[in-house]
Amino acid sequence: MKKNVRTFLVALMVFAMVAVVVAGCAPAPTTTSTPTTAKPKLKTAMVTDVGGLGDKSFNDLSYEGLKRAQKDFGVEIKVLESKEQADYERNLTNLANAGYSPIFAVGFLMTDAVSKVSTTFPKTQFGGIDEFFDKAPANAAGLVFKEQEASYLAGVLAGLAVKDTTIDPKIKNNNTIGFVGGLDVPVIERFRAGFVQGVKSVNPDAKVVAVYAGSFNDQAKGKELGLSLINQGASIIFPVAGATGLGTIQAAKEKGALIIGVDQDQFLSVPDAKDIMLTSVVKRVDEAVYQTIKNELDGKFAGGTNTSFGLKEGGVALAPYHNFDSKIPQSIKDKVDAAKKAIIDGKVTVKDSLK
Amino acid sequence: MLSDVLNPDLFASAIRVATPLALAAIGGTICERSGVVNIALEGMMLVGAFFGTAATLALQGTSIGPLAAVWIGLATAVATGALFSLIHAFASIDLRMEQVVSGTALNILALGLTGFLMESFYGHPGSTDAVRETLPQVFNFPVAAAGSGLLGTVWTWINTLLFSHSPIAYMAIAIAVIGQWALYRTRWGVRLRALGEHPRAADTVGINVRRGRYAAVVISGALAGLAGANLALEQVGTFTENMTNGRGFIALAANIFGRWTPVGSYLASLLFGFTDALQIKLQLVSSAIKVPPQFFLMLPYVLTVVVLAGVMGRAVAPAAVGKPYEKE
Repeated sequence: MKKNVRTFLVALMVFAMVAVVVAGCAPAPTTTSTPTTAKPKLKTAMVTDVGGLGDKSFNDLSYEGLKRAQKDFGVEIKVLESKEQADYERNLTNLANAGYSPIFAVGFLMTDAVSKVSTTFPKTQFGGIDEFFDKAPANAAGLVFKEQEASYLAGVLAGLAVKDTTIDPKIKNNNTIGFVGGLDVPVIERFRAGFVQGVKSVNPDAKVVAVYAGSFNDQAKGKELGLSLINQGASIIFPVAGATGLGTIQAAKEKGALIIGVDQDQFLSVPDAKDIMLTSVVKRVDEAVYQTIKNELDGKFAGGTNTSFGLKEGGVALAPYHNFDSKIPQSIKDKVDAAKKAIIDGKVTVKDSLK
Repeated sequence: MLSDVLNPDLFASAIRVATPLALAAIGGTICERSGVVNIALEGMMLVGAFFGTAATLALQGTSIGPLAAVWIGLATAVATGALFSLIHAFASIDLRMEQVVSGTALNILALGLTGFLMESFYGHPGSTDAVRETLPQVFNFPVAAAGSGLLGTVWTWINTLLFSHSPIAYMAIAIAVIGQWALYRTRWGVRLRALGEHPRAADTVGINVRRGRYAAVVISGALAGLAGANLALEQVGTFTENMTNGRGFIALAANIFGRWTPVGSYLASLLFGFTDALQIKLQLVSSAIKVPPQFFLMLPYVLTVVVLAGVMGRAVAPAAVGKPYEKE
């Protein structure tokens, strides 16, 4: 009798745990729209990277693009979240089986999974955010960004601002700028390379100190890195590290430094950091997703190629200065604008690696 | 260049990094001393961090103000850590489940539960908003109190090293010392250790094994919850999914390295914190010496492996750890 009770309790506990875990892993709610056209509706979907929705970064931005397409074109949309890298292939396959096309795979880590699944489903179109295909299958489009170009502009701004103590008392006139990276991977290197090149173009003596957290979601580590950089004299820090960067922002808030935001306009997405957000390097992932869906509807899907979105294409940009708009001298703004024009006109080439 | 690495901030940073590890490690020590393996420290930290942040966010707008709210958040983190650990206690003491399995299940549960509640409370996954006020620094002595010169340098070191911390950092040191004293100098401590070494003997002399083990597991949950509060409410001011990032497992290693003693656990955590702080400082100057960042990021973990592989000699676990006790 006692044993039966125990067995029952164990079963109950296991059930409760499984129920909660399953609930926690359930895919994000599907959103469907009312049909607006008579012809068969386009069904488009995305698979997030392990950061998932709510990363206030590229996963959320891709979703923004989908939602905009849903609103403008009445397409049906769906999101599957990956909890670990093993989910990539399964999520892509499930969506392809369910008839979604194009399917967006968010994050360069999914490159191989897209190559594989796109061969299995030759009739389904795939869009790879941040993915560069060496040999893209005819039904897959690599959508990559020239982060280095917008980072260059941020570098020009930081390189000039770090010498101008009138902008903010937090600028400590010792010509030191910090950079925090999540992992030392190509996409982060593009940000860093462009940023450093931008700084050096206007301020060759400036010191850009770069540190890495080894993780994109370790805020406590991000804060330690920020504190160390500030201790080292850095008065402007550019964190390119996902949620880890939020820890760096916290360090800057406490110990007094200015931040250059990343991926989206962090003046808006991190409201408690308004007073230290100089600008942000914005990556218009939403624009790339939206454009790709539009192309698909127009029958112009660019499969088999990689498309780069730079300053010229509106794929990357520098966010407004917001609270610093009145504090940054016009001469600095002019130099940033001149650099932007030079890049768009092809007069300045920004390197995509530190080598 | 040496002063870029070897400065007071290096040691202050070591203490900050060590604090959450030490609290969880001491929790692990007390739990394992009673004969219950606790690999769910990671999950308990995460649950504490989440509910502590949620309570703070809910209360900071009310009339009690953001500072009182964050202290209530701390208490909530401790309480929910303890509550959550009851599942582990029930499974491993009453149901006599394999304790490693129960612990693993709790870790997965914590990750799923906090993620799920995050969605339902705030409508989005990822990170919560920042709390308006984090737990404040305890002392605020002027940096330049002793002027420049030798005296000034000495003061900077003392001030940064000893007086630059927030409350939980000091609590962790106090808990390590009190825990050590309690474990070796009180009747409670002797009884607790007896439970982990030879529960049958303890039972024979009239010690309630079940009650003793329950208390130990709940204390470990409370300490892990406090560690979660340190991360979420003291260091960063937000909750992020999986923000503990494996610290519960490092704490488990620190507990073993500290030979199942509270002060040992603290010192082991401090060594780990020091290597982590050191690797950050080395990264700062590495642009001059051209070493890839991955090398530095690896250092704390290499140290953990080397230390556990036996540089410190053999550490002997409590004899009855992991073994459920059945009264005859």
